[in-house]
Amino acid sequence: MEKQNIPDPIPFKFGKKLKTYLGIAAGVGLLALLIAVFVQQLPSERIWANLWMNALMFLFLGLGALFFWTVNTLGESTWQINIQRIMESMGLTIPFAVILFLVAFPGLKDLFEWTHTEHLDKILQKKEAYLNLPFWLIRFAVYFGMWSFFAVYLRKMSVKNDFEPHEKYLGRLRATSGWFMVFFAVSSSMAAWDWLMSIDAHWFSTLYGWYIFSGMFVSAVAVIILITIAFRHFGILPNVNGEHLHDLGKYLFGFSIFWAYLWISQYLLIWYSNIPEETVYYVERVNNFGTIFYINVAANFLFPFLALMTRGAKRQPLYLAVVAVIVLIGHYLDLYLAIMPGAVGHENASIGLLEIGLPFFYIAAFLGLFFIFFEKAKPVPENHPYFIESSDYENI
Amino acid sequence: MMHVSPVREPLINGEKSYNDITSDVMAPIKAKPGKLWYGGLTVSVIVMLIGFAMIGYTVWFGIGTWGVNRTIGWGWSITNFVWWVGIGHAGTFISAILLLFRQKWRTSINRAAEAMTIFAVMCAGLFPLIHMGRLPLGFFILPYPNTRELWVNFNSPLLWDVFAITTYLLVSLLFWYFGLIPDLGTIRDRMKTLWKKKIYNFLSFGWQGSARHWQRHESMSLILAGLAAPLVLSVHTIVSFDFATSVIPGWHTTIFPPYFVSGAVFSGFAMVLTLMIVTRKALNLQEYITVGHVESMNKVIIATGSIVGIAYITELFMAWYSGVEYERYAFMNRALGPYAWAYWIMMTCNVISPQLLWIKKLRRNLAFTFVLSIFINIGMWFERFVIVVTSLHRDYLPSSWSMYKPTIIEVAIYLGTFGLFFTLFFIFIRVFPVIAIAEVKSVARSSARKFLGKPTKNQKPENQ
Amino acid sequence: MEAIVYGHFTDELELLDAVKALKNKGIRIADVRTPFPVHGLDAALKFPRSHLPKIAFAAGIIGGSLGLLFQVWVFTEGWPLNIGGKPYLSLPSFVPVTFELTILFAAFAMGFAFLLRSNLGPGKIPNILDEEVTNDHFQIILSAKNNNLSEAELAEALEATGALEVKHINAEK
Repeated sequence: MEKQNIPDPIPFKFGKKLKTYLGIAAGVGLLALLIAVFVQQLPSERIWANLWMNALMFLFLGLGALFFWTVNTLGESTWQINIQRIMESMGLTIPFAVILFLVAFPGLKDLFEWTHTEHLDKILQKKEAYLNLPFWLIRFAVYFGMWSFFAVYLRKMSVKNDFEPHEKYLGRLRATSGWFMVFFAVSSSMAAWDWLMSIDAHWFSTLYGWYIFSGMFVSAVAVIILITIAFRHFGILPNVNGEHLHDLGKYLFGFSIFWAYLWISQYLLIWYSNIPEETVYYVERVNNFGTIFYINVAANFLFPFLALMTRGAKRQPLYLAVVAVIVLIGHYLDLYLAIMPGAVGHENASIGLLEIGLPFFYIAAFLGLFFIFFEKAKPVPENHPYFIESSDYENI
Repeated sequence: MMHVSPVREPLINGEKSYNDITSDVMAPIKAKPGKLWYGGLTVSVIVMLIGFAMIGYTVWFGIGTWGVNRTIGWGWSITNFVWWVGIGHAGTFISAILLLFRQKWRTSINRAAEAMTIFAVMCAGLFPLIHMGRLPLGFFILPYPNTRELWVNFNSPLLWDVFAITTYLLVSLLFWYFGLIPDLGTIRDRMKTLWKKKIYNFLSFGWQGSARHWQRHESMSLILAGLAAPLVLSVHTIVSFDFATSVIPGWHTTIFPPYFVSGAVFSGFAMVLTLMIVTRKALNLQEYITVGHVESMNKVIIATGSIVGIAYITELFMAWYSGVEYERYAFMNRALGPYAWAYWIMMTCNVISPQLLWIKKLRRNLAFTFVLSIFINIGMWFERFVIVVTSLHRDYLPSSWSMYKPTIIEVAIYLGTFGLFFTLFFIFIRVFPVIAIAEVKSVARSSARKFLGKPTKNQKPENQ
Repeated sequence: MEAIVYGHFTDELELLDAVKALKNKGIRIADVRTPFPVHGLDAALKFPRSHLPKIAFAAGIIGGSLGLLFQVWVFTEGWPLNIGGKPYLSLPSFVPVTFELTILFAAFAMGFAFLLRSNLGPGKIPNILDEEVTNDHFQIILSAKNNNLSEAELAEALEATGALEVKHINAEK
């Protein structure tokens, strides 16, 4: 059995250079916001909608990573152990997403028409028991409270096992992953309804929660891929090899197809039955946001489907990274389409300086927090019983 | 060589060599069938023939012999169709999707599960054919060139079904058979009876274990898995389109595609468990189909069962949230109307009972699993019944509301499909290897409790 | 008619070592037969990757295109029908059948290609040298035709690797 000589990992340091780069990116984002508010003087709905959209994208990365980690734990899967700390650290950004959401709270009245309780039409009146600000805020607190608890507790158990390897920590990881999964299944859908579907409050779709989840998951996988490739390149995770990239590529490929499957399910069924109160959602997007509507499908399905089909494609770090970036931008566009038509309307919405520049701030914030948390623990959970299997397996 | 963590449970319980694996799995094929087998086969054949007779009766006298009416045009026939197709999803899931996820435990159940898929899809396919009424004109559903220049309606989900079910049956057959070829070679080489040897010779396509052929075989299996995985999703999705493309409350809802697929895998795994728990005992294969395998299948059941449960809750919520009075009524009626008994059986069997599998002791208990698997399949039958019948019996116009009761003919036909299914299954276990011999051998060294290797010339024993 | 030398192992790890040893000596191996696919054997025998995936892809494209174009023709040229007010070119409706035909064509083209390429099929008679190869024997077959060594030298090389029951016969390939 040939074993390559795997060098020792280079310890990760969140140093000055990295902090400077992130600082510049954050500055770019803030500048875009300031220009949008004071120079371009964009309508307020558009500003708030952008803040909302970026906060959601920020959250989705951490939440999707936490889901990926827990589902692999429940499946007794081992390949991901070598990149587990990446997922853990991404999960720890969830509590901080609250701040980003709170920053957008002044815009709630612009985003959600059901907040205007003085003049609710008959349809919105029927939904008042669910779509009212007090109940909405309580749900908001519960989602974030529980997700944060799970992210922090699971991380704690994982780190404890580093210092004092014991089956009890692994048992708690498994059991807690189970509880998280149940809560996540319900809360991810409800959050999608609360924060996205109710922007178009007259519309509804039972698939919506799962559709948003699929986009969340693919985005998180794309970011995990990018961080994994970067860390491998800089020698921080020397155990990561082509096999791990191949598996991550498979997830990006497969779940992009899954996203497309949910996309076409929702679209086809609403198009086919042609019921006006449902079709209005797509009519608005196809007629007034047509270009982005089709780019959305191309970037999130056609492109990854063709680009990642071959075995070789999934094992090439640079190629895989490029695909991941494009898919990530694609899912940002998906979020744009979910929010802008309802919140801003087609006269005022467009891809401008704000839409392109603002994300840099959020990326910087996300990565900054991620690096802080990644530095705090060992780069891989070496004392995990599946660690060796994770470093020594082969794809067909 | 892949490292297998010692923490993992062995996939083969017992001390086995490659030769042992061959002998153990071939034993039911070589042995003379016992009284139990003859008894089971006879009962199955009789029930099947009664069912076929009732099909003949229906084709002769017409759909009036059934309980369907206006406005409930679809009753037991379509409920049974969706139920059987759903069950057929486990085989491909195990073969294809578990292969893609590198789950080695699939190797001792995939052959039987795939066979089950093929038989289930055959049973399912009967229903769309006979419910059309004028079966001799059944070929109309195929797009063949004709002098009237008529084509089929490509805008109809019922037609999409024709393509989906046909493709699924054919590709499942392909996947199953090509996987079987090496094992058929094994049987051919070990069969002493000349006429049997000739048959297996023919069936094994000249397989001789050449490395080049194995390489292509592996490559093909991987690609087939990659093709079959979306196929599995697409088939039950298209079946769900039969309902979701309509405008009926309770039918037209966007969550149907993934919800139906989860439900299909859910019921399919339950059927695999029902069959495997009995088969492993009857054919003495407990060391290959272990409690660990049962536990893994139970995990899939709790995952898919929970997804189905979430879908129920989502539908309920969205019916209220939509504010559409017809949607709201449809769901109130399900829970409290004349078919409420069916609804609550469904809820108990599908939502509540599988949640017990969070308890490890129950996951590893064969008796409990067996009983639960039957409850799940009962629950899934009622789910389709509730969807089909309660949505139809009271939709938009109260003057059209009616009730539905199956006739004895419909019941007999349904039971007849069980006869067909079990007839095929009984024959299968005697003629083909129930476990994928070559695949189990490939995991034996790493995953058997004690692997008995036979060293060639060097005397060091190869024991795990 | 050619001279064939063959022997077998009962352990796949020893088989792998033997194959590598023979390859190092520069001996061409005619065939290796195993009861199950042995991990690492393809690499040791330096097999190029199979082309079956490419065939599947090409056939899938053909199947999908045929399906889509046929449906488009039927509903725009052949006999356009107004189904529920949908346009004649109702592309979303055409997705399911297109998808199914893609999979069907891909799967069957690959299956047939596999059989044709490997010369397997109903009625093909295998050339069995050792019946236990489908049970637990791992066989190496060397042919004097594509090696510059004599039968005896091949047999010697094979025995040196640890093979059991090294035999030579004159057989039709």
